[in-house]
Amino acid sequence: MIAKQHRLSLVLISPALLVLVVFIGAPVIQSVSLSLHRIVISLPQLQTPFVGLANYQELLHDAVARHSFWVTIVFVSTTTFFELALGLLLALLIHRRFPGRGGLRACVLIPWAIPTVVSAQMWRFLFNDAYGMINYAIFGHRVTAYVPWLAEPGMALCAVILADIWKTSSFAALLILAGLQIIPEELYQAARVDGAGLWRRFWHITWPLVRPALLVALLFRTIDAFRVFDLAFVMTQGGPADATNVLQLYGYKKMFIEGWMGYGSAISVSVFVMILILAIVYVRIVGRRLLEKSL
Amino acid sequence: MPIGSGQERRDEKSGMNIEPVKRKVFLLLSLGLIFIGASQLGAQQPKAVTFLTWKPNQPEVWDRLIERFHQEHPKIRVQVQVGPHSSTEYHAIVTQRLKNKDASVDVFFMDVIWPPEFASAGWALDLTPRFSKEEQRQFLTAPIAANTYHGKIYGIPSFIDAGLFYYRKDLLKKYGFDPPRSWMEMLTQGDVILKGEADPSLYVYSGQFKQYEGLVCDMLEFIWSRGGTVLNPAADRVLLTDPTSIEAITFVRDHIIGQAAPKGVVNYEEPESLELFIQGRAVFLRNWPYAWTVANDPDKSKVAGKVGVGLLPAFVGHSSASALGGWQFAISRWSKHLDEAWQFVQFMTSTESQKMIAFLAGRAPTRMAVYEDPEFQEKVPHLKAFLPAFEKARPRPMSSLYPMISQELQRFFSRAITNKKSDVPALAERASANIARVLQMEALTRP
Repeated sequence: MIAKQHRLSLVLISPALLVLVVFIGAPVIQSVSLSLHRIVISLPQLQTPFVGLANYQELLHDAVARHSFWVTIVFVSTTTFFELALGLLLALLIHRRFPGRGGLRACVLIPWAIPTVVSAQMWRFLFNDAYGMINYAIFGHRVTAYVPWLAEPGMALCAVILADIWKTSSFAALLILAGLQIIPEELYQAARVDGAGLWRRFWHITWPLVRPALLVALLFRTIDAFRVFDLAFVMTQGGPADATNVLQLYGYKKMFIEGWMGYGSAISVSVFVMILILAIVYVRIVGRRLLEKSL
Repeated sequence: MPIGSGQERRDEKSGMNIEPVKRKVFLLLSLGLIFIGASQLGAQQPKAVTFLTWKPNQPEVWDRLIERFHQEHPKIRVQVQVGPHSSTEYHAIVTQRLKNKDASVDVFFMDVIWPPEFASAGWALDLTPRFSKEEQRQFLTAPIAANTYHGKIYGIPSFIDAGLFYYRKDLLKKYGFDPPRSWMEMLTQGDVILKGEADPSLYVYSGQFKQYEGLVCDMLEFIWSRGGTVLNPAADRVLLTDPTSIEAITFVRDHIIGQAAPKGVVNYEEPESLELFIQGRAVFLRNWPYAWTVANDPDKSKVAGKVGVGLLPAFVGHSSASALGGWQFAISRWSKHLDEAWQFVQFMTSTESQKMIAFLAGRAPTRMAVYEDPEFQEKVPHLKAFLPAFEKARPRPMSSLYPMISQELQRFFSRAITNKKSDVPALAERASANIARVLQMEALTRP
């Protein structure tokens, strides 16, 4: 009986498993195998010899890859921090009851709903040095004071980070809002009876109870931020002077522009491994704490 | 899908002794196979030539040409597939399809920097038997040289581009200047004009300095016009660290970026740089021939009718140089309709077609005879005036690994000019070492 049930459950999950294997397992294995070969698509005469870890060895000594790694780390840490902070504020705001709350909640989601390529193009126009709205808003008609935002390496990276924060804070807000909504109203009522002020109610009730949701948002956002590609691709193409050349963009250029499939795959496999380690750490440490504390 | 169909046949054979329970699954599978087979049959219509092109600025011109071709060759149908507009993105699509030996592409465009890559990879058909030396002599020499790799020719030039120097005729006249012959002269004239005009939003120069392919063209023009170059003629030594190259790059960093040109140019491609000029905010501009039509269109340009054009300046004692651009027709080596494809390419690069493309799309012909045509001289006199620049145009490094070399150059140039305190010789050293490694990899393929 149990064995039969077991078999049935296997049958039932097999479609989902199949999808995972075909669309996730196979491409990952394919990438790993590509990364172990020397493949230059414009030189078929070289064949595609197996080179072991040579691509990875080269990656370790590649100054541009190292630079791209740090650019990615800066991007991931700043965007995640600000997205969670802003997301929490937004969630607290749209959690309160006030007229027009439904409309506002919908509005908060708009940036998240716009495709990244479109919003990246929009930010590129906003940051334009000659006719961008941001310059106009700050300096009005004093054209000489206009700042070429995307021309300074540091500022270009900030601009890409800002565009990401604008876009994804609402996603964090949505996750955190779900956490806020499961906090029972009675706790606040009891605290009010005991004479707790707004700050104490936040610090002693909201904060500990919303933390699990925050951690989930943190997990989603760090992993997602690691995969950033489209924003930099549209806004700056990785420039100026490689200032916004995030790892995924570097890998894309190696693979599809230079045709260096093996090396490009080594870059994307490395990103995959980094994300994997991060995910395991999160699930192990954060996940356990999340389960224990919230119960 | 040759691999897939082999497997499918094996499945059908073993299907004879399949249990009845699984018969339904098997039936479904075979239905799917029949479906795939049928769609493959449909794709192999006789005498259909598929032309994979980029998204054109004026699609109606190309449509009209193809319509004419259909009238002249009623037995051949041309199917047009439109790819992305940008050269780099179009390159990604074309290489992906040819790499997979996709027989559904017969004719495609090649950017002027692609022939060595497409020849070495074996994607472009060797046209030497069909495109005779005598026929080649009818064309401008620079694009023919760009299509030739190890003595064989792989593409037929459709239209040519070259870096041109645009200037404000009215402002130069007002201050009594002739168009500048040297970069220094350009700066001096610009200073006088800027002081005289007292317009804080006016700049001396505008060009393309974003980290992308255009940056390579602009910077090479500075380096060449100082007597430097990237590779030696045998294309086996990198000459970026030569003092001439370093001096030209340092000049751009110190006198162009954030000085003669706004700092924002390090994020400018062609459209942004042209925008500055047609808004009347730059005295001089480096751009391709297409900019002429836009700059003189009163609907789009504030400086229509006030624009002059000529050769780019050079450093004192050296001669002007402009980067060669333009597009070629090529035939896929996997094409199953070689004769039809060849007829189509011949038609598209004929004198008549080139004239039509020049009149309606403003693209400069590659056949020399067209420039002598009275109708051409009357309708598009500016294209005739560009001829000296076309004859002088120089190719970017010829290599089957050009995309890798270009990425290194873009990185080097962008780093060198974006930061005022950049250590140009050290950056040049590093870029040279990286490019030398690319050349080594290419050398592996030679016997």
